[in-house]
Amino acid sequence: MQNRFGIKDFLLLVLVGAVLVSVWLSMSAGDRRLEVLQGLERRLSDVETQLFTGGGTGGGGDLAKEIAALRQAILERPVNVIIQGGGQVAAATTGIATATTPAASAPSGGSGGRDESWARPGVKIAWQKPWEFVSPPTDVPGFRAGGEFTEIFGAQPAKLVPYLSTDVYGRRVIDEVADSLAGYDPATLELRGRLASAWQEDPDGLWLRVRIRDDAVFSDGKPVTAEDVRWTLQDYVFNPQIEAERARSTLGMIQDVKVVDDKTVEFTFDKAMFTNLSYSMGIYVLPKHFYSQFEPSEINQSTGLLMGSGGFKIEGLDPDRQWTPGEDVVLVRNDRFWGPRSPLERLRYKTVTNDLARLVSYRNDEGDMITPTSPQFNAAREEGDWEDENWSLQWVNMRSGYSFIAWQCGPRQGRLTPFHDERVRQGMTMILDRERMIRDIWDGIGVVSTGPNNPESPTANPDVEAWPYDPERAAALFKEAGWEDRNGDGVLENEDGQEFQFELTMSTGGEIVEQITSYVRNQCTRAGIRCSIRLVDWSIFADLLKQRDFDALMMGWSASAPESDPRQIWHSESILDQGDNFIQWANEDADSLIDRIRATLDTGERMDLWHEFHSVVHESQPYTFIRVSPWLRFVKGDIGNVNTYKAGLDRTEFFRAGQMVTQPGS
Amino acid sequence: MAAYIARRLFVMIPTLIGITLLVFLLIALSPGGIGASLRVSGGEMEASKAAQLEAYLEDRYGLDDPVLVQYVRWLGRISPVKFGTRAQISPSGEIIRTPKALDGFFLSKDWFADLELGEEARARLATLPPPGPLLDGEQAVAEHRAASRDYMEARADYIAANQFLEEAVVRYARETGIADAVDAEGEPVEGVLTDHRPETAAPSWAPVQAAALATLEAYEAAVVARNRLQRAFDAKPYPEVGVPVLPGVLSLGPPDFGVAFSRGRPVVDLIAAALPVTILLNLIAIPVIYLVAIPTGMLAAVRRGGWWDIASGALFVALWSVPTVWAGVLAIGYLANEQYLGWFPVSGLHDKAAEDYLFLPTWGENGFAPGYLLDLLWHLVLPVTCLVYAGFAVLAKQTRAAMLDNLSADYVRTARAKGVPARTVILRHVFRNSLLPLITMFVSVFPAMLAGSVVIERIFSIPGMGSLIIEAINLRDRELILANTLMIAFVNLFALLLADILYAFADPRVSYD
Repeated sequence: MQNRFGIKDFLLLVLVGAVLVSVWLSMSAGDRRLEVLQGLERRLSDVETQLFTGGGTGGGGDLAKEIAALRQAILERPVNVIIQGGGQVAAATTGIATATTPAASAPSGGSGGRDESWARPGVKIAWQKPWEFVSPPTDVPGFRAGGEFTEIFGAQPAKLVPYLSTDVYGRRVIDEVADSLAGYDPATLELRGRLASAWQEDPDGLWLRVRIRDDAVFSDGKPVTAEDVRWTLQDYVFNPQIEAERARSTLGMIQDVKVVDDKTVEFTFDKAMFTNLSYSMGIYVLPKHFYSQFEPSEINQSTGLLMGSGGFKIEGLDPDRQWTPGEDVVLVRNDRFWGPRSPLERLRYKTVTNDLARLVSYRNDEGDMITPTSPQFNAAREEGDWEDENWSLQWVNMRSGYSFIAWQCGPRQGRLTPFHDERVRQGMTMILDRERMIRDIWDGIGVVSTGPNNPESPTANPDVEAWPYDPERAAALFKEAGWEDRNGDGVLENEDGQEFQFELTMSTGGEIVEQITSYVRNQCTRAGIRCSIRLVDWSIFADLLKQRDFDALMMGWSASAPESDPRQIWHSESILDQGDNFIQWANEDADSLIDRIRATLDTGERMDLWHEFHSVVHESQPYTFIRVSPWLRFVKGDIGNVNTYKAGLDRTEFFRAGQMVTQPGS
Repeated sequence: MAAYIARRLFVMIPTLIGITLLVFLLIALSPGGIGASLRVSGGEMEASKAAQLEAYLEDRYGLDDPVLVQYVRWLGRISPVKFGTRAQISPSGEIIRTPKALDGFFLSKDWFADLELGEEARARLATLPPPGPLLDGEQAVAEHRAASRDYMEARADYIAANQFLEEAVVRYARETGIADAVDAEGEPVEGVLTDHRPETAAPSWAPVQAAALATLEAYEAAVVARNRLQRAFDAKPYPEVGVPVLPGVLSLGPPDFGVAFSRGRPVVDLIAAALPVTILLNLIAIPVIYLVAIPTGMLAAVRRGGWWDIASGALFVALWSVPTVWAGVLAIGYLANEQYLGWFPVSGLHDKAAEDYLFLPTWGENGFAPGYLLDLLWHLVLPVTCLVYAGFAVLAKQTRAAMLDNLSADYVRTARAKGVPARTVILRHVFRNSLLPLITMFVSVFPAMLAGSVVIERIFSIPGMGSLIIEAINLRDRELILANTLMIAFVNLFALLLADILYAFADPRVSYD
């Protein structure tokens, strides 16, 4: 027999190969660890030498000075919340801090004789109190500092670069790291200074002068200056080589940014608009010294170049080792943060794409917070001990959007639909029992929407009540508008004998669509209206919107701020030029209100206009407003100080307690 | 043989072009078209701003060009043979090409052919920096950097002005009632408008005139900036890419797959991140399928009609008919859920602390530490199980059928008759001869290795090729889809060639000479 290559030899070869490969891999893994260690040692010794030599070269000297200043501060000040939190963590990460001193407002920024030399004379200055926790974690029983908090995302953020990241998950991470000049107060939704200690607004709305806090520093210790603000806008956002087109379009109203002095910056606007203040105060301030060392193309293609002055910082700023999608995002507390420091030492964000797997991961203690689906939310709460071990949170906040059925108020392909008549639209709303829809279709999660303004926002008119479910009144309205059953076949007709029929367009996806369409069709049939359903893919749906080629359609708007410009959706001028007034609703009262809202800078006055606008939209019912979708969250019971605010959740307030601290019920 | 292989390789080029063109046309003609994801309106942005944003993005990614031009441009970039001036490469890896050409603005050849700029505008244009001298070294780099920013700014201004002009024309056309001048999406139709002479007396003509003047000025400014950039580029601030064949006309260079606009990252990076994950999964799954299915099929053929044949057949077909989505969800719900068994991890490929693990498992002071390798394998159990279980049936049945064909052949009876041991008959004679259909099946493995499984990757949160491709298709990401298509088509064609060569080795009757 000749000696042939058999299966046994093959297996042997494979085995030997596998052993060799694994030996090689383990050696390279060892090498990598060694390299990391060496790198750490080198950096440590660098820091040490810089510290001992007094630091002639920038960074080290700053560090030494900073530590000295911190020591001094600790010695001089009475024990105060901020120092306590930070100091605890530095000393022993698991130490239990005894919260004996009440949260005194930190007297920083020279509250006595305020320095007004930076301001334009004669214009009111809006002085800002330093940003504080709404609910200081140290006041909560069971407080402990330290630990890691893990949130499980449903999708991977594509990149974590400020202004280039466009998804909601990326924004959530960046919000913790990159700070802005001002933010919405979580409880009251007022715009309050973060990096800004004060600002001055032109009574005519054409400029805005901002004073930056003296103690604000980036996570590497360099101070935040006016030049950083100017650079962020002029050389980053407005630099056409940076792929920040979206931010560029929203901030397009900023004509110029001038550095007045080291800590004062002035924006000039092309026209007075109420959004100017919140948009320009909402920008992330980026460190010029960090980002300017990269070419625009490097920034465009980077995935994790993220540095700012917020309460957390990202590990690994080395451009060759930056975060890439697929890894967990890990943020560590920025101990140089000027503001209220989070008791948590690290935030971790991991991604689990499948709904069920996400819940299982959460149950397996692989994460501390998830966004459950509505059925998951209800099912879990029915478990006996769920509420004892978890926070089940459900609340409406400023980011809650609303869903609606939009009626075509203008012509579709040259022909008017029945919905051009306000009475018909009101009637349509009244034949749909929105409370029941929420109960049956959305598992009882949600509240009936009354109009375009988020109910938590001060823009919402509390006096507007949703139209009742009243088919009889609806029938009367239809009759008034000329629609009644003239030939006794159960279907409404108008004078010309045309039947009342329309097509409801929805974008495909999910079983909810099925339930909604069958409910709407059912209700229409009862009222004597023929309703046909058209399901289309999202991309076609978007085209239909642009072409205004539909009778009625269902979709939702989401919100990102308590107040946003209503013109794009509601003004009659947005019917032209592919604006989002795709229902072609033209209402003179609304138009004039929108124009006045946009030009009114006084908040109180503007809110009155908003309320009026809310009523006008309610009366005319261009949309049937269905449901405001609340946020749903599960948070582990051993996380303390979990509060639901109008602005969302404040992760920096959370702490990791040793035992369950939930007070069930939300 | 060599001639045959060469011929096949040569035919591959038009085939690849055909495949990518077909896929490209499919994306381009689908609703929404290329880059549909970029055109999502926010509802908060003013319409004119949203349109402007769209125009910027279209310009950045060349989406405003005709479909075929886009395809040819893509082909030019990925082709190793390049025409024209060679591109340059900056130290950060950015490929720098000749500055983009400037198209004339809307109706510039027609309505506004003899538009003249005013004195003031001329004076403003005169202040713009003209093309500088040919610099070299650091200065050339600095000049190129400044000039390219200037040009991009000027180009953006020009695009915005052009957009504004189009809007003014739309209003004018609506007001004067030119039929069909505005399409269903509210965009002006140039062909219809050129046939009209503008009525300069109409009240909405003045804004059109003003917008056209502004656009002309922006255009002239962009031309100046472009000339300056062209000069800066000609100074060759960076090293050139590739090898010249005919200088200035023809050169060889590496293919450039471009940037995936749905994620703003180079396509090569995205594939390099996703591909190893998919290959790893398949490298484990495919051998498992073969090692289980082929022996089972052989045994089933040898004991045809026996309990093994029937039981394995029934089991495999049963497994084959279980949907992966369902199996995956069950696996997570029961095997990974600590409320039930909790044996396996739910998602991902590594433990969160895996970066700090040693590679191999160790027994130390703190007891057993699994190490990186074991951790990875442990994470792979559920996804690999879901990948393989449905694959057994086809392969086992295929093996069984091929074996049965040969078992009843004359040469087998002869071999048995002359006293060759049954083992040898089956392994040496029958199995070798049954390999032919298995080879056909085997080559299809290679493209499958790269493609990944959308369902399994979604369920187990594995960032592999499947999710990458499906997302690319959903977002109509031209670059990413084409690169994927090209890669899979290439591997497919190559696998087919390999199969044909293997035939010749497995079966002496097959010859290509």
